[in-house]
Amino acid sequence: MLRSLYWKTLRDRWLGALVGVASLFLVAWMGLWAYSGMGDAAAEFIDTMPPVYQSLTGTTADAGVAGLMLGQMFNFLAPFVVAGLGISIGAGAIAGEESQRTMSILGSVPLSRTRLLGAKALAIATMVIVSSVVMWASYVLAVLLVGGDVGSLDLAAATLHLCVVALFYAAMALAIGAATGSRGVASGMATAYLVSSFLVVGFAPLFDGWGIVAKFFPWYVLNGSQPLANGVQWGQLSILVALIGGLMWVAWWRLNGRDLREGEPRAHFVDRLRSDPRLTAVISRLSGTGATGGIGAKALSDVRALAIVAGGGIFVLLVVMGPMFTAMVDSLAGIVSAMPEALLAMVGFADYSTAQGWYHGEGLSVTGPIAIAVVTISAGLGLVREERNRTIGLLHTAPISRAAVAWRKAGAMVVLAGLMGVLIFAGLSLGNLIAGLSMDYGNIAAASVLSAGLGCVLGAVAFAVGAVWGRTSVALGVAISVALLGWGINSFVAVNASLEPFARVSPFYYYSNNFPLVNGMDWGHALVLFAAAAVLVAIGVFGYQRRDLRG
Amino acid sequence: MSAENPAIRVVELTKKFGDFTAVDSVSFDIARGEIFGFLGPNGAGKSTTIRALVDLIRPTSGRCEVLGLDSRKDSVEIRRHLGFLPADLALYPNLTGRQTLEFLANLRGGVDWSWVSALADRLDADLSKRVGELSSGNRQKIGLIQAFMHRPTVVILDEPITGLDPLVQLEFHTLMREHASAGNTLFLSSHTISEVERVADRVGFIRRGRLISVEKMSELQDKALRRITLEFAQPVPVTAFHGVEGVHEASASGATITAQYEGAMGPLLQVATAYDVLSISSASVDLDEIFLEFYRDKVEGPDHEVGQGDSAGKKH
Repeated sequence: MLRSLYWKTLRDRWLGALVGVASLFLVAWMGLWAYSGMGDAAAEFIDTMPPVYQSLTGTTADAGVAGLMLGQMFNFLAPFVVAGLGISIGAGAIAGEESQRTMSILGSVPLSRTRLLGAKALAIATMVIVSSVVMWASYVLAVLLVGGDVGSLDLAAATLHLCVVALFYAAMALAIGAATGSRGVASGMATAYLVSSFLVVGFAPLFDGWGIVAKFFPWYVLNGSQPLANGVQWGQLSILVALIGGLMWVAWWRLNGRDLREGEPRAHFVDRLRSDPRLTAVISRLSGTGATGGIGAKALSDVRALAIVAGGGIFVLLVVMGPMFTAMVDSLAGIVSAMPEALLAMVGFADYSTAQGWYHGEGLSVTGPIAIAVVTISAGLGLVREERNRTIGLLHTAPISRAAVAWRKAGAMVVLAGLMGVLIFAGLSLGNLIAGLSMDYGNIAAASVLSAGLGCVLGAVAFAVGAVWGRTSVALGVAISVALLGWGINSFVAVNASLEPFARVSPFYYYSNNFPLVNGMDWGHALVLFAAAAVLVAIGVFGYQRRDLRG
Repeated sequence: MSAENPAIRVVELTKKFGDFTAVDSVSFDIARGEIFGFLGPNGAGKSTTIRALVDLIRPTSGRCEVLGLDSRKDSVEIRRHLGFLPADLALYPNLTGRQTLEFLANLRGGVDWSWVSALADRLDADLSKRVGELSSGNRQKIGLIQAFMHRPTVVILDEPITGLDPLVQLEFHTLMREHASAGNTLFLSSHTISEVERVADRVGFIRRGRLISVEKMSELQDKALRRITLEFAQPVPVTAFHGVEGVHEASASGATITAQYEGAMGPLLQVATAYDVLSISSASVDLDEIFLEFYRDKVEGPDHEVGQGDSAGKKH
């Protein structure tokens, strides 16, 4: 019985894990291919790298292009993918069964809650460990495919660190889900901690005296201790393993001590806040009234919470980054001045000694696109979600054509992309104003418009695949793959000038390659982004009109 | 949208999903002002037929019309006059019942809110709670209200009484009859005949994707089997009743023979009185048993649908 539960959990999740690991392999392979294609030039650049940069990327002097590329993979992309996978499985393990009303069936079999938790935890651990090992093997394969050499890089140590960190986040999601019965709360809190860990570990060491703060976040075990260069740090891993044990105890304790849900959602968090008389007016204003005005209004309100969190987050980050730059400009200049210009260009690093470079590198290269993609992909899935949730039949009782329904859903996605662009403009402008950075507002507007364009493309991919295919999981998988691979292609392939034409298949190329905060708007790039989004939406609407609807 | 057209017309409807034929050459008409029951076991093709009627799926061949309009080409116009309750209803869990109805009313327009309130009162529906917090029966009430809230000319209901308590079922059946009395048409899908029996004028039987028969309810009741219990002075071989005209089933328990029969009792009594009969009692069999009996008679296997040839697609 336990074995059945274990295998079912693996069966439900293996495809997502495979897509994630395959994406990591492709990004690593493309990057290695691009770097190695540069021949001696890459080796010369790496030789000239200052120790501070080698430390940041986990690269050793003899590691070559493999070290440069895999350092970036282990320190950024892979933790998000593998830990994200762990969070997704962990949050759904107990709370997911409750929200899908399958816990009642599970509860009817002669199996204690403890054993149920054990089977689920084992399946999660298996999935994370197997994904990590396959990822490690795929990296080795990628290096071999380009005729490279891993040199002294300790891939096994880096993989072990990444695996334990991912297990920590998975255990956190599992524990919160087991304690609250809410998958949304579990995945939301664990993801928030994952993202904040990444940001804190990245930013805290830049402030004098704040470096110690980073040590309280699991991400520090990845790029703080640099296992790729320094090998396994058993002390750090031991602490994380102990914390994982603690989280599992919390999961066991709460799961055995509470009533199981049978699918009824808990009182909405916003409702709880609204019920507090001191907060009623503010919460009502923030959350708005019931979105029943129409399909577009409802589609907007469906992702309202996500838009507030992601849009508000990127806005605040961009505002804060202005004064941060002023405070750190001297130390940043010291670091950057030690690095050759060509190297900065090669690794896609912006010139951190300028405000534009600082904002481009820290705000718009990674964090901004993530915030935009989360909102617009979610909005793009709005139509296909109606099928998954089996509300499509109800929606189509109204005298509105399929095309009109689809256009309105797509329209909501575009509005949200625009809203994200506005928030990015507002954040950049306010940060610029407060810190007196003298960035050109026209260039800020250009970066914001291109941000909206990128969001439109990613949202349109999700929309088109969902509308044509009718499967939420396929649409989400394709959209995330396009985002990941697109980012990878632009970040790594484009550094090799001879391979730059290949980078043009990536929407990220049109989003950032012209460095809009410095060079202003490239109307051709904007046209490509918005035209691609329009074509994708049109394909989606066309396909949606001509197929059987599910659900 | 001529008044002469039937409210619903299905012509040689076939729907295939890959190699699987969910609905196979189904044809029937439903007149205006009629309540039509659509009966069949799980997976018979009821919901597939309905989803083709409301243009959620497209026929592989054949066509559907509602009020004389083509279900695909004129789907938007049809929906102006159509109320629809999907099977296994799903609603938006984060909206209250009232918000759900407001949303759907805003999409449609022209909804009289005093009528919505009246419907909510009649069905005892709580519109103030979030749908996600409601029991399945209370969610079903929201679904029923949205199907009737714009006083549609044609209402298609797929398994409408799922989860409703008996009192609400009674009120709902009254509502359906009132709606039909006003000249509107109701198409009611179910897998239990007792539900259809209470309200329908005619009933169509579908099984394995094929329409087996369309019957008037009154005629169906005439076909009702009766059960006779014969008590003899001593045990009688049950085989004596096998093959007797009108007898469908006969079983023995000690000195008692129980048989189901239709039509005249004479041939059965003729056999019985050859033995020493102590008592006779007779009773009607309810429609659920007719339903089962009907299928036993008409369908014995996927490749052997007795009587289908002369009743499938029968129009009234």
